[in-house]
Amino acid sequence: MIRIRNLSKSYETRHGRVEAVHGIDLDVAEQEFCVLLGPSGCGKTTTLRCVAALEVPDEGEIELGGKVVYSAAQRIFVPPEKRDIGMVFQSYAVWPHMNVFQVVAYPLTDGRKRAPSRDVAPRVRRALELVQLDHLEARPVTDLSGGQQQRVALARALVSEPQVLLMDEPLSNLDARLREQMRLELKKITKSVGVTTLYVTHDQAEALSLGDKVCVMHEGEILQVGAPREVYSRPRSLFVAQFVGEMNFIPGRVLGPTEVESPLGRVQCEVPTSCQTGQEVTLAIRPEHLALSSDASRGSGIVRGKILSKSYLGDSALFEVEACGVNLKVKLPGDCDFAAGEHTVLLMSPDRWRVYS
Amino acid sequence: MSAKAAAPGGSLGSAKVRSALARVGFARGLTREMTGHGFGYTALALVGLLVGAPVLAVVLMSLRAGLPGQASPLTLENYHRAYADPIFLQVLLNTFFFAGGTVLVALIFTLPMVWLFNRTDLPGREAIFVFLITSFLVPVFLRAIGWILVFSPEVGLLNSAARSVFGAERPIFSIYNITGMAFVQGLALVPASFFMLSAAFRAMDPALEEASYICGASRLRTLLRINIPASWPAIAAVMVYMLMLAVSLFEVPAVVGWPARIFVLSSLIYFAVTPNVGLPKYGIAGAYGLLMMALGLILAYLYFRVIRETRKYAVVTGRGYRPKMLRLGRWKYAAMTFVGVYLALDFVLPFGALLWVSFLPHAQVFSVEALSKLTLVNYRQIPDLIGVRPFINTMFLVLLVPTLSMSLSIFVSWVVVRQRFRLGGVLDAFAFLPLAVPQILFAVALAYLALLFREVLPIYGSVFIIVLAHTIAYLAYGSRTMNGVMVQIHHELEESGRVCGSSKLRVLWRIVIPLMAGAVVNAWLWISLLSYREVTMALTLRGPDNVVLATLIWQLWFSGLAPEVGALGVMLIAVVVPIAWLARSVFASIAKGYSDGR
Repeated sequence: MIRIRNLSKSYETRHGRVEAVHGIDLDVAEQEFCVLLGPSGCGKTTTLRCVAALEVPDEGEIELGGKVVYSAAQRIFVPPEKRDIGMVFQSYAVWPHMNVFQVVAYPLTDGRKRAPSRDVAPRVRRALELVQLDHLEARPVTDLSGGQQQRVALARALVSEPQVLLMDEPLSNLDARLREQMRLELKKITKSVGVTTLYVTHDQAEALSLGDKVCVMHEGEILQVGAPREVYSRPRSLFVAQFVGEMNFIPGRVLGPTEVESPLGRVQCEVPTSCQTGQEVTLAIRPEHLALSSDASRGSGIVRGKILSKSYLGDSALFEVEACGVNLKVKLPGDCDFAAGEHTVLLMSPDRWRVYS
Repeated sequence: MSAKAAAPGGSLGSAKVRSALARVGFARGLTREMTGHGFGYTALALVGLLVGAPVLAVVLMSLRAGLPGQASPLTLENYHRAYADPIFLQVLLNTFFFAGGTVLVALIFTLPMVWLFNRTDLPGREAIFVFLITSFLVPVFLRAIGWILVFSPEVGLLNSAARSVFGAERPIFSIYNITGMAFVQGLALVPASFFMLSAAFRAMDPALEEASYICGASRLRTLLRINIPASWPAIAAVMVYMLMLAVSLFEVPAVVGWPARIFVLSSLIYFAVTPNVGLPKYGIAGAYGLLMMALGLILAYLYFRVIRETRKYAVVTGRGYRPKMLRLGRWKYAAMTFVGVYLALDFVLPFGALLWVSFLPHAQVFSVEALSKLTLVNYRQIPDLIGVRPFINTMFLVLLVPTLSMSLSIFVSWVVVRQRFRLGGVLDAFAFLPLAVPQILFAVALAYLALLFREVLPIYGSVFIIVLAHTIAYLAYGSRTMNGVMVQIHHELEESGRVCGSSKLRVLWRIVIPLMAGAVVNAWLWISLLSYREVTMALTLRGPDNVVLATLIWQLWFSGLAPEVGALGVMLIAVVVPIAWLARSVFASIAKGYSDGR
């Protein structure tokens, strides 16, 4: 269990003070997989490093497994070696002067939970089996590929059976295919161990597929916390909408509680109660919720457009369509046969529109 | 706070007190982590004491009269006596001419060699490299002695040969003047400046040069418009560094300058504290020392300014960089002649002369008649002449100095680079100070302090005071080198150890030091050799019991025992040459660290 209250951290740089994190609250339940998602510089890594005690926060409180490990008010700071955590670093940080066994054994031989020497080998083997590297234990870590080094790092983080596992963009140094494979495995391993996990990434696909809970951060603040599906389908702010997945934005003006005027005509949608009639708003819709049709015979309420470009992606195709003076991205299955330059009709599902003030 | 918490009643049983104690414990942890820093202050205290105390001692002794420990009011008398002395202006001029001349001579030889070595197909580069290392590791005064044996107007082999062969009535060449001194010292500085400049030269991104070729510029134009301007800050930095060294050098001014009564600041200070008659004049030494220290600090400041300039050029990419090597063709012979002349002057002539006299009963010119007198007697009598003491003392130096110096360097540089210590910059500057403050001053100040505190710490006149002086002096080199290595170790390697549950010191011991092992061993070996060849400090601190090989040769020379000096000198060099040959790849990386780590 991780409990963060009012956490703040700022850095002194050459250009003055920079607030990396201001006043965030976060709860991660026992055995939950929580992903901190955000662009670089949003404070997600700082938050993680504060939990690991690699940074000292300025303000707030952190609890791990019910024990206060940092509190500014009570002047408590438990150093990293005394917190019950495991961590996987972006650079893997496996020590090049050791072999696989030695790296994984380190927490048991030199760490906070030293094991009796007869227990070390079996526990290291178990951890290596978990990451499927048990056949490589005598290898120098420098002989391993990036993906294998990553597994060693994971085994090292888990071998001491910590309460909390912290991961700092662990997949960002792997190539695309390997990353996907490791993502699946990470999920499986953390579930089977049942460890509470805090995971940092800037990759929204990673966040959505891995997390039980996704926490979108921007400029040191948490904008939205929720299940992946909720965050994707109901982004609470313009930034979240923009950052998580692709989104089309068009300007609009509120006409009523369920109607917004836009360059594409009147759009039926749910307007947040905070928006008043006449207010300028931004309408948003995902590219996959738009469709194209060559059938222009459908009476009123249809929007005509022209396909500006098409990028074929195999399983899907992304179109750029100009309609009523706005450019829209449209995502269709890859086997559709529209081409750039064609005139077309734009189909929109009304319940997919989101409105942001 | 802790006193308060523990005070009430002394009953630690009550929950209230226990929780208060726990909080204090945590609070301590918090403060230490936040301000960084028990380790930081420990390092600062250590380095501050080792480096700062001698510096303060120079100031103190310049303000006091008499010997250390004698009651004396603070006075400006020493300054008056030192600077009103008519010799002072002459000494100052001598120092400037000597230092400037030294740098000039060194550059005249170094610049073409660096270019030839790094950018052309000059043959025999590996052999030249070994020569340079060996030359660097041989004490400078030994080379000066060799030069005297060749070029002295009275006993010099060259001049006496000229006398007997051509019937020349007056010596054709003499080194007993500022020019001669600067020439010998300049030659001796060539290897050091060569290593520094080579690294700077190689650090230039070849893309800068290639881009110029692509733009259609010729080789010459590229050299003038790109190469030279881009490496100018590095050249300037090396020049300032050499000047910093040159104003403080002592060996040549003593060996060559002393018989000719030509003084520079360093030799003046030396003879003030070790007069042939009368008591040591620490006050005068302090007054001159303060001026020297000011010069050194100004140059150090200048050096950092220039270095910052070189950082701006952020040139290193170095990925598998093989620059285009210029084919020398017919010019090869000219280039080899140039290098050959340097090697002859720097190495073959002086050490040939040493070798020659070492086989003779007394120094004399090369002749058939002399050939018949060749003898090993000088070598054979060495054990009787000197006993085992100097060897044991030298062993102490070459083992203890690098060990102590490297331990301290690693610790300091770990704090500076790795711990976010508030005063890290100050600590780093202190560790650099031994490069800026002349070594002879450190030695004089240590002697002064050791006399002052001889009751508490009786090391005056023992080999340990030399160990201490060397440890301080090489702290600068050690910490520069370790800084360079340490920044290359990814911080996550260390953090992952902490997260696994190891304390900072344990991570340093189990992870950081093993990761740097190669560099640590290299630097250890290098400092060991530097200590082996060092004479200035050992001499200033010498007593009857702490003679080392280098000071022994020095003393023999000033007692007029040239053949014995030859024999011992040859032995001293004979130890270095195989080390230089065997460890040449190690030294190649040291040579690189020499300038990276500055």
